[in-house]
Amino acid sequence: MAAGSLGVVALASIRYVEPLYFSGVEVDVLALLCALSLVIFLWRIAPIARNVLRAKKDSGFRLAPVGRRLWDFVSEVLCQSKVIRQRPLPGLAHAFVFWGFLAFAVVTTNHLLTGLGFGLLQYTGLVGTVYFWFAAAWALLVAVSIAGLFVRRFLLRPRWLGAKVSIESGIIAGLIFLLMISYLAAFFLPPIGVAIKAWWWVHTLSLLVFLPIIPNTKHLHLLLSPLTVFLKRREFSQIPALSESETEEDFGLLAGKDITQIIALQAYSCVECGRCTEHCPAATTGKVLNPKEIALGVRGYLNALGPASELPLLNELRDAPANPSPDNPPANWLSMEAAFQCTTCGACEYQCPVGVQHLPIIVGLRRGAVNTGAWEDRQGTKLFLALEKQGNALGMSAMERDKFIEREQLPLFDGSQEYCLWLGCMGAYDPKGREIIADFARIMRHLGTSFGVLRKEKCTGDPARRLGNDLVFGSLAQSGLAAFSAASVKKIVAICPHCVRTIATDWRDFGIAPEIEHHSEFMARHAHLLPKQNGERIVYHDPCYLGRYRNVYEEPRAVVAKAGQLVEAERHHERSFCCGAGGGLVFLGEETGERVNYVRAKELVATGAETIGTACPFCNSMFRDAVSAIAGEKPPQLLDIAQLTARALPAAAASATIPETGQPPVR
Amino acid sequence: MKIVVAVKQVPERDAPVRVSADGRSVDSGDTAWTMNEPDAYALEEALQLKERGEGEVIVLSAGPERVESTLREALAKGADRALHIVTPEEGPASLAARDILGVAQLLADAIRSESPDLVLTGLQSDDLGAGQTGVVLAELLGLPHATLVLSVETAASGDAKRIRVKRELEDGWFQHIEMPLPALLTIQSGGNRLRYATLMGIKRARSKETRNIESPPAAERHDEIVRVSLPQRTRQTEILTGPANEIAAKLAERLRAEVGL
Repeated sequence: MAAGSLGVVALASIRYVEPLYFSGVEVDVLALLCALSLVIFLWRIAPIARNVLRAKKDSGFRLAPVGRRLWDFVSEVLCQSKVIRQRPLPGLAHAFVFWGFLAFAVVTTNHLLTGLGFGLLQYTGLVGTVYFWFAAAWALLVAVSIAGLFVRRFLLRPRWLGAKVSIESGIIAGLIFLLMISYLAAFFLPPIGVAIKAWWWVHTLSLLVFLPIIPNTKHLHLLLSPLTVFLKRREFSQIPALSESETEEDFGLLAGKDITQIIALQAYSCVECGRCTEHCPAATTGKVLNPKEIALGVRGYLNALGPASELPLLNELRDAPANPSPDNPPANWLSMEAAFQCTTCGACEYQCPVGVQHLPIIVGLRRGAVNTGAWEDRQGTKLFLALEKQGNALGMSAMERDKFIEREQLPLFDGSQEYCLWLGCMGAYDPKGREIIADFARIMRHLGTSFGVLRKEKCTGDPARRLGNDLVFGSLAQSGLAAFSAASVKKIVAICPHCVRTIATDWRDFGIAPEIEHHSEFMARHAHLLPKQNGERIVYHDPCYLGRYRNVYEEPRAVVAKAGQLVEAERHHERSFCCGAGGGLVFLGEETGERVNYVRAKELVATGAETIGTACPFCNSMFRDAVSAIAGEKPPQLLDIAQLTARALPAAAASATIPETGQPPVR
Repeated sequence: MKIVVAVKQVPERDAPVRVSADGRSVDSGDTAWTMNEPDAYALEEALQLKERGEGEVIVLSAGPERVESTLREALAKGADRALHIVTPEEGPASLAARDILGVAQLLADAIRSESPDLVLTGLQSDDLGAGQTGVVLAELLGLPHATLVLSVETAASGDAKRIRVKRELEDGWFQHIEMPLPALLTIQSGGNRLRYATLMGIKRARSKETRNIESPPAAERHDEIVRVSLPQRTRQTEILTGPANEIAAKLAERLRAEVGL
């Protein structure tokens, strides 16, 4: 089998070789070991597959749109976009290992088949020579990368990996290294002799040991995560509708029987990298909640009790702790205490490289506790009763809203205006929220956009939704939809990202709301008509529900850039850190550990900017106290993007307006 | 312990109040209705008593069809069954046409058929605020009663036929008394913590029994409503200025002269 040309012959003088001959005994032993490896692998993965397949079906799951799923698969799995972008150095190392594995799929198949006498690639042939060289390049990259990852995991020890690092991951890293080295060794050995045989067998045994280790370690992600990424729920932080069934009651994630197939799949896919923990505002400020342990808790539960169990998931609801964590000291991981510390900022879900969607799980656990009345919290109950009785989260009388509308001379929506200006609880009742609404109304008038406010407005149900109270959320969503429909509203604009998200996405379980946008989007579209100020340095804080939830990052920045010089905080855009208000937590009173709003306010103050720009009335309210406590004598100003813009409008714009129609004065 | 809780459906706190054309009643055409708040506390007290021991909580209300939503709310929060004394929306047999004695008679008839150990009701209603129904009801039923009750527990002696209640007196004083069962108590708001309604409660409530009771024709009123009017709002604020001792002197003078202290 001569090589194609002299050049290739020269190049191939160092080339991959395989033993030329395998004895009958060797073939038998190999076949036996392959079968053994496969059997152990199947025996260990079978209970996992069973737990996933026998879990409750995800009601309302649709594969469509497949195109987007494929795109996510290509981007997140094949291109490793998330893995690399959010942790560049280890991410790249991981990507090399992953791509190397893909390159090695052919090599490995060929390797075993060669031993059994059915080799596909001839190392002496042109294709074989080229491919083995190609694989060798990857082998080198994988060997270096895995060594680097080993050093990181066992010597540098980032704390996000947990207090204890599993030994299996060290063994796996060693096996991968051995696989690569044994492959590369074959380039420097003659095809006949003990040496090549020995290395060949080392490679083979490494492979056959590797396979059965996969199922019960975090390396299960090798098999599951591509599937998990492809199958994950379409929306960010998508809370599935409770299943309506005569025979079975669904109150959320109460016990194993409520764990759905997607949740089970995600729990088994967790690779324990701790990115979720690293970015979690609860975990990093000394709370009990650790999103990684939520996923691992569900996994531990499934392993111990299976998907049909009626035993509650949460510690407070049962006698023995639900999950002593596998690789960390036992703690109250799967508990009401932890579940109700989540701000639903979505950093965990955003960061997760293997497709775990933490929020439906955490909110699901809350639903189980709240929908059955098991969660007893003084402030939480007060909030729910306020939403039930007063229809707003602040528990104020609706007449206060009427007075505010009258005082600001906000026009009532009568169907003739273009926009319905949604006030929200903060805009209607909170003093600072009202300032924001008043200023945004001035901007709309300045732009000549007609708008009106609803005569009566109830909370969108956001805090009830995130806290898992489906009864209150459902009735508020229905009454909101009815109000919009009765008033023939076509377009809504709101100053609160929580309202925007809830109306646009969460209300879908009950009907389709009119088109809604956040005031940052509205103002960015009209940015060319807004005054350009030679303002101060302004640091912009991305609200979770605008950024990660709605993917709106640049619009508010465009507005800020018109008002002054835009400055970025240490964490910004999709890595922005929560203000601590979300998930209903702003209504639940004092937190344990460090205050989330203080942590974020410190970062914002540290930029030295004269002004902090916000785009959410809740963030604004959370920073109000924190900033003055932190910055001391000369705290930066705290202004919503609407206020940043309105301050440069001619004063006449407000007073000369005809209030009844919201029309601007004739210029 | 078998407990009957009598609740009233009242207009929501923020509901705009309009006097009807005859000037002697309130126009409740587009009013939103809710459970009277002191009654909600009475229900909560009953539920907590039940949760501490064995027992049954029966919720009772009189009124037209709309009252069902309030009964359902009570069932969702944990009451075991409901009694609905159905009265017409308007006309001579309606609830509004009956005086306090007439309403109490309706309730008493329904309660007698249950012969409960304890009857709880709110101290007063958020709409009329007469505070009479509970005590009149006790009289009609021939039961001992206590008003302004903040909490109820079983007697210290452990006697199942006696209870110990905490009453709110004036000026921050409380009274603890023991009384025999059966008894009637009117409950003060704020003595316990209300619970929130849950999805599970609402679903469970669907299978709970509500018994409708026909209401007899109304007896003649003993009182007469002469006129209903909105309170005149007068607000005069005067800010006293100057050093503290001068302000104090001015204030004392005004209190003496205008309030008559």
